[in-house]
Amino acid sequence: MLFKDIRDYQISFLGLFLVVGISTRDWTLRPDLIGVLIATCLITQSVLSFVISHWSLANNIDASGASCRVGQMTNNIDASAASRRVGQVTNLRSALITSLGLSLLLRADHWTTMVLAATSAIASKFLFKFGDKHFFNPGNFGIISALVLTSDAWVSPGQWGEEWWYALLFVGTGGMTLQRIGRWDTTAAFLGSYSLLEAIRNLWLGWTWDVYWHRLMSGSLLLFALFMITDPRSIPNSRIGRVIWAVCIAGLTFILRNYFFIPTAVFWALFILAPLSILIDILWLAPRFSWQKGNEGDEGDKGDEGELLLSTPNS
Amino acid sequence: MKIFRLLTPLLLTIVAVFCFAPAAWAFCGFYVAKADTKLYNKASQVVIARNGDRTVLTMANDYQGEVKDFAIVVPVPTVLQKDQVRVTEPTIIERLDAFSAPRLVEYFDPNPCPPLPIFSGIVNSSEGVINIDESETFTNPDLGVTVEASFNVDEYDIVILSAKESGGLETWLTQNGYKIPQGAKQLLQPYIRSSMKFFVAKVNLDKFEESGYQLLRPLQISYQSPKFMLPIRLGMINAKTEQDLIVYILSPQGEAQLTNYRTVKIPSNVNLPVFIKNEFGEFYKSLFQTAYTKEGKRVGFLEYAWDMGSCDPCAANPLTQEELKEAGVFWLNDNSLSKRGKVIPIKVIPSTVIPITVTPIPRFAPRAFNSNVFISRLHVRYTRDTFPEDLTFLQTANRELFQGRYILQYPFEGEVKCEAGKEYKRSLPKRFEQEAQTLARLTNGNIQDIRNKMKLSVGNLTYSWLENVQSWFGFD
Repeated sequence: MLFKDIRDYQISFLGLFLVVGISTRDWTLRPDLIGVLIATCLITQSVLSFVISHWSLANNIDASGASCRVGQMTNNIDASAASRRVGQVTNLRSALITSLGLSLLLRADHWTTMVLAATSAIASKFLFKFGDKHFFNPGNFGIISALVLTSDAWVSPGQWGEEWWYALLFVGTGGMTLQRIGRWDTTAAFLGSYSLLEAIRNLWLGWTWDVYWHRLMSGSLLLFALFMITDPRSIPNSRIGRVIWAVCIAGLTFILRNYFFIPTAVFWALFILAPLSILIDILWLAPRFSWQKGNEGDEGDKGDEGELLLSTPNS
Repeated sequence: MKIFRLLTPLLLTIVAVFCFAPAAWAFCGFYVAKADTKLYNKASQVVIARNGDRTVLTMANDYQGEVKDFAIVVPVPTVLQKDQVRVTEPTIIERLDAFSAPRLVEYFDPNPCPPLPIFSGIVNSSEGVINIDESETFTNPDLGVTVEASFNVDEYDIVILSAKESGGLETWLTQNGYKIPQGAKQLLQPYIRSSMKFFVAKVNLDKFEESGYQLLRPLQISYQSPKFMLPIRLGMINAKTEQDLIVYILSPQGEAQLTNYRTVKIPSNVNLPVFIKNEFGEFYKSLFQTAYTKEGKRVGFLEYAWDMGSCDPCAANPLTQEELKEAGVFWLNDNSLSKRGKVIPIKVIPSTVIPITVTPIPRFAPRAFNSNVFISRLHVRYTRDTFPEDLTFLQTANRELFQGRYILQYPFEGEVKCEAGKEYKRSLPKRFEQEAQTLARLTNGNIQDIRNKMKLSVGNLTYSWLENVQSWFGFD
């Protein structure tokens, strides 16, 4: 059961980064705030899943009640309840990933800010949907909400430094996950176009190449490229769509970082361009990603228990 | 009887807590010495006061050579006009240095420790009498250099240049009597291409002699730009060795950190052997060097992060409102932010060794209040190899207080007769050994030398054969 879901790998990798970060890096990490983040994410996910599944269940009964025989209706309810239970377990994985991602990236002075970040991160999955798909990366939405709505949140882009063995760790673990979910194209497109843009700028400015490598080797950038923009549930479904989308994010990041001097440019770029994935999905039709191969019912990020599994990843 | 047996330790605990704990928690020991920037031969000091996208940058000149040869070229984000440049007093930077320097504190010194340095409070508020030259703007079409502004401020002659290409700028500077080091051309180009301007200053010798100043005073510039950075590349042209840079960042928010390098807290809050008192400066230098090497030489160190309204212990009194303004804090008048009387909790980890026998003599420490100016002291030791990129900064909302603080804990040397006293005496060698190991670890020093020195200062200490063997093999 454990590690059949790719997200179990993701959870252990993010957990590992957190442990490595706390033990080898001088972070202002507070265990109490990490606890608050995890708890809030899990609770919000459970509550919203529960509310929405009840709501959709009630709708189903209303709609079908008049014409259905009682026995059939009971069957429907049982099936719904069973699939909801499966959904709940897998849902909590997503919530856990979001909370670990937030713990790694977001810093705040007060626990209330963390609650806000965690709640908005999870709620964004339920609120900002197009069709059956949410389009904001939850962790990213939480970070931006905290940055915009509170005065005590910040992101430390320099916290990982730029040592090669971190890069190796991120690329190794990230590569493993991406291989399994088949989303390495997104990371490649993002990193490829971003490093190209930076290279052109470096050449034009006349900086030596150590400046260039220093800018690219930032652990935070790699973490973002490998673990945040690759969330298969919120990014475009088709490969061509993903590549275009990732290139756009790289371009916007480049502009925001170098011309608007925003140190948290990557997060803003992803946030601003997240809705673009709707348009891309309309233009390039492709089946939606699902975490579990051959498992009936979607773990969903909401109460869409009835959703059919359309395909296996990368098919 | 049973109850009494239970009650006695409880009562003793309560008494102990009431007697000692408040002292240990409220005071971080008594400040006795500081490791200020005078320790370093070539430490540049820069004060950055920043709120929103407005910046006031003060640059201290540690210029060693002849005053007539002095010239600086600093890339700045915008064209500066005469009213954006002024000269400040060096005392301001000295005050910030003293206030934020890593400090040595001591507990239970039988001799009263030296009194706190009393700050005279006198500020020579030199409002930088600006003598404006004909502010001329002309372009030299051959060189592609535009003099955006030219004026003098007190003893400095200043020009603000913009350039189209680095060769032209280099030629212009050479033609106009500035000594530009070899290799400047390559380094000037990226700044030109990034649309940065050049703040160029040299000393007007007549004015300098008239003024009677012995040293060059710091230049202070103010500008509005989203760029929160400090160019360090130009300063590396001639540097053969590591350079020290202390940046004091004053912010209405909280702690500042580097965005393109790691920011690491300097090791702090440790108990050290008492002989360190006489060599604190040397100790701090080797502590810094050890930490710097250990972190791979690619980090900036946070030496102090504190609300400017308070200090505990005080290496120097907090700056007055006038001094803060002199240091570039321009937001003090914006709102009545100085909420005097509002006590903020001081989150300093209490000393690990609980005082046992001697009660410290309470000494005045200024009350903590939220002054809306938060200082971060960042110490960067850089070379061309380890810091390829200019420094960029970020202000965070983190108002957690931090200081480089090192503790001396003097043992009680009187006679002891009771059982608890004997127990205390028996516990001392272990404590001393701990202190010796801490010192060896932090400074990468030889533990035997440290033990020998400790013997001189606190008498004979015996070590088991095992500890000696361990130290030979380097298991400190």
